[in-house]
Amino acid sequence: MTDPRKEHDAEPTTHFGYKNVPESKKAEKVAEVFHSVAAKYDLMNDLMSGGVHRLWKRFTIELSGARHGNRVLDIAGGTGDLTRQFSRIVGPTGEVVLADINASMLKVGRDRLLDKGVAGNVKFVQADAEKLPFPDNHFDVVTIAFGLRNVTHKEDAIASMLRVLKPGGRLLVLEFSKPTNPLFSKAYDAYSFSLLPMMGKLITNDSESYRYLAESIRMHPDQETLKGMMVDAGFERVTYHNMTGGIVALHRGIKP
Amino acid sequence: MLRAALLAGAEHSVNRALRLDPTALPRLARLGGRVIEIDCTAPAWRLFLLADSEGLRLAGDWGSEPDCRLRAPATSLVKLAASRNKTAILHGPDVEIEGDSSALMSLAEVLQDLELDWEYEVSRLLGPVATQLLASGLRAQAGWLRQSAESLRQDLADYLNEESRALVGSDEAETRFAELDRLKLDLDRLEARVERLAHHLTPDRSE
Repeated sequence: MTDPRKEHDAEPTTHFGYKNVPESKKAEKVAEVFHSVAAKYDLMNDLMSGGVHRLWKRFTIELSGARHGNRVLDIAGGTGDLTRQFSRIVGPTGEVVLADINASMLKVGRDRLLDKGVAGNVKFVQADAEKLPFPDNHFDVVTIAFGLRNVTHKEDAIASMLRVLKPGGRLLVLEFSKPTNPLFSKAYDAYSFSLLPMMGKLITNDSESYRYLAESIRMHPDQETLKGMMVDAGFERVTYHNMTGGIVALHRGIKP
Repeated sequence: MLRAALLAGAEHSVNRALRLDPTALPRLARLGGRVIEIDCTAPAWRLFLLADSEGLRLAGDWGSEPDCRLRAPATSLVKLAASRNKTAILHGPDVEIEGDSSALMSLAEVLQDLELDWEYEVSRLLGPVATQLLASGLRAQAGWLRQSAESLRQDLADYLNEESRALVGSDEAETRFAELDRLKLDLDRLEARVERLAHHLTPDRSE
């Protein structure tokens, strides 16, 4: 069988922020962004969101319904905020896998978790969300927080997450979305296209990465589109919760 | 989000208090991450508690079934929190428990038995010498307050009994009660004697 993506001479393109890049280059370009910001990722998260990202993640943990002894996969886990909480919830009889495609982020996450004494039930895996290297029906909970918009083929990633979940398992997608109030949306645009790159410049000396962040958020599917993608992939009882006026949405689907 | 922020703040304070009692966290660890739901019927709100070796996690929602669900109105929940005899309240008509009640009882016991080692926490901030001085000062103050309260109570009792004669003193009351008891016993004996005499004087019908 031939891969339809290779049938034409010209390589298909995908968006990288507002730019179009060849599909094979997107992962590389995203990797560059995260290599650049990894060291000050947490500080920037706190500054950009005013610390509210902790509450978004807290709500994600609540809706995950993770239990003692569960197996949890935290995709694009970055610096390990969710992994740390899940490690505590699943206890010594459970397991949490922190997966990230980016080696720099994974290293920062691993060092940070070990420094906080989180060990024993946590594994670190460098993996692509589109081709998860885990058996079928393996995890009780899969989360991807602020990672899906950086994935080149989102449908493939959602299908891969469905595959590794056990029947009855829950997928939680925490991601930037579309603000529900038009006025609030304008203020948010002004903030993310002018203040955000400036903060990036000041803290990490890299305004381009934060311009990419703002642009990639705009290119990401809105609440209803992402819900539709999860339903199409085969998830059931798909719901979403808007947080902070829709700046962020938490989608949840259950594997039948 | 506001609710999540409030719960996060409350969780931080509760866990800080739990860390002050060296026995609390190992006892909570035995609950092994069991999920307890508190479902208040009036006013309607829900709270999920997860206990583990690091303390308590408070959540407004939980994406899976709890191990134990306690459903009660706020009045009963307040009584439950304040009362030492929790079993009586848990058996009340407006309280419902579903699932593993032992998890709930264990958690309630841990919270009830909390003995906070505040000196340790203060010593981390002020150092051992300052804490020792502060603690001995506070203990002396507490002792003086206790002594003063006892002395005031005694003086008030003396005044009411001896000076104003508004109340009867306990010694006097005891004497009177003893006299009344003696009188009652004497009466009983007299009654028994009269009964016996009456019995002797009545001709026996069988003879």
